[in-house]
Amino acid sequence: MAYAGDYTLNELMVVAASRELRDGDLIFIGVGTAGRAFTMAVGIPIAAARLAQETHAPNLAIYWNNLLSPELDQIPPRLTQHHLTTWPTSAQLHNCSDKNDMLSRRMFDVSFDSAPQIDRFGNLNITAIGDYRRPTTRLIGCLAQTDHFAYVDRPIVLTDLKKRTFVEKVDFITSVGHLDGGNSRVEAGLHPGGPWRVITDRAIFGFHETSKEMQILSIHAGVTLDDVLAEMSFRPLVPDPVPVTELPTVDQISLIREAIDPRKILLVA
Amino acid sequence: MKSKLVNMAEAADLVPSGSSIAIGGSIIRRSPVALIRELIRQGKKEFTVLAYPAGFTTDMLAGAGALKRVEAVYEGLFQFGFSYNFRRGVEAGLIDIRDFSEVAMAARFRAAAAGLPFMPTDALLGTGMAAYNPEQIREITCPFTGRKLHAVEPASPDFTLLHGYVGDEYGNVQFPLVRDADDLDPVMAKGANRLIVTVEKIVPHAEIVRNPNLTYIPHTWVEAIVEAPFGAHPLSCDGYYDEDEEHMHYYQACSKPGNFAEYADRYIYGPKDHWEYLAAALTPERIFALSVR
Repeated sequence: MAYAGDYTLNELMVVAASRELRDGDLIFIGVGTAGRAFTMAVGIPIAAARLAQETHAPNLAIYWNNLLSPELDQIPPRLTQHHLTTWPTSAQLHNCSDKNDMLSRRMFDVSFDSAPQIDRFGNLNITAIGDYRRPTTRLIGCLAQTDHFAYVDRPIVLTDLKKRTFVEKVDFITSVGHLDGGNSRVEAGLHPGGPWRVITDRAIFGFHETSKEMQILSIHAGVTLDDVLAEMSFRPLVPDPVPVTELPTVDQISLIREAIDPRKILLVA
Repeated sequence: MKSKLVNMAEAADLVPSGSSIAIGGSIIRRSPVALIRELIRQGKKEFTVLAYPAGFTTDMLAGAGALKRVEAVYEGLFQFGFSYNFRRGVEAGLIDIRDFSEVAMAARFRAAAAGLPFMPTDALLGTGMAAYNPEQIREITCPFTGRKLHAVEPASPDFTLLHGYVGDEYGNVQFPLVRDADDLDPVMAKGANRLIVTVEKIVPHAEIVRNPNLTYIPHTWVEAIVEAPFGAHPLSCDGYYDEDEEHMHYYQACSKPGNFAEYADRYIYGPKDHWEYLAAALTPERIFALSVR
């Protein structure tokens, strides 16, 4: 197994996400708008799921945009509504209530989420910045990101590391993570669980087993601890020594470039 | 069976200012856009919109100053970006917003569809949505397990406005075999109090009865049905036409800097009805390019 010398940051994130996926997982992938938001919400998750299928998790399945198990080797050339509708797939459930039932019955193992604000305990905000009733910036609402954190076993957050994103406390709780830490999530009535990993362009985070504080799991090659801390408004738990994120292998990179996203539809920005 | 076929103006006449309206479809797909344009053209306002994901139609109502309140899971325009008119309204404190997650909003529409006074859900425990909306999201205790839950209010609007594929004059509306199901239209239809459906084409009743399993909105639920070809334009109607990207980019170019009026003059107030809209917004070449049949 040879590590790749040449890889992009997006490819590193695809590989890191892929390594978190297990054989037999059912994975929920959301929708994204365009550009970087699309790459984060859709591109990297789909590429990671397919990479896992092609390597260590052949029985992994995805649910995306009401498509259950779309044929991932037939990704449409463009993702307009018509191409989504006619993408060959095992099932388009009859309406969204079916998907919601699958969520609340806790059938999903992993979800991919992204957010403009995440805090020390992994709570997400995609709803409003500032005062909810009179926000400085109104965002997009909630979608199913609330439901992912309520019902999915291992939610994975994909977002770029930025000081304004990693905040001490979110302005509004769209998705309940580990709430105020410790046992507070379960005391609020939620199922155990909460966010599992936070994969960024500089480092990968998890959450402490008991305190539930965000902790650094590894930092990407070429990035220093100071680089990471400079982009966070709170100090996460830091292991000593700090591991370096495992590099992508030559095989993983060639799979991404030649089989998974040869037309550059997924990793666009 | 009684004919429920009316024209677009007659359908919009049924809906007074101040109504709560559920709008079907999803973000940039199969919403009753022509009907919303007609409501704006008639000067109707002060609407409360209930949606699963809201999108283009809600943003147009915001742009026209006709939106008082929104209860939905999302407001945005998918690959075309933010819902700028809506967003400005919320930031200015002009639109009362009630956020719900997908599980919770679906539970609300299902409560209405089942005729129940509430639906229990555990989706919103600990969230900001629950903290800011004790009117519609109330804590209850499960009588069997003692678990903490929320009761959510039914989504039971004055009017439910949907765009479908084909229907007959009696209001039987049918799916095509391959369709995008990423919405709640069948549930919203069942829970409707007064249901108005626009369809791409009115077909003979004899065609409907051949495939009764494809009827997802039966005539008994429907108050009025309207024929509106390209009735979801500039959005897509799955199986019929794709979203009109050029038109949407123009809409966003107007809306982002606050020039919704320019768009509205050209495409809402300028044309006197849906046919004039189609003449203004589409050419034979565009129709051919957007069609997917």
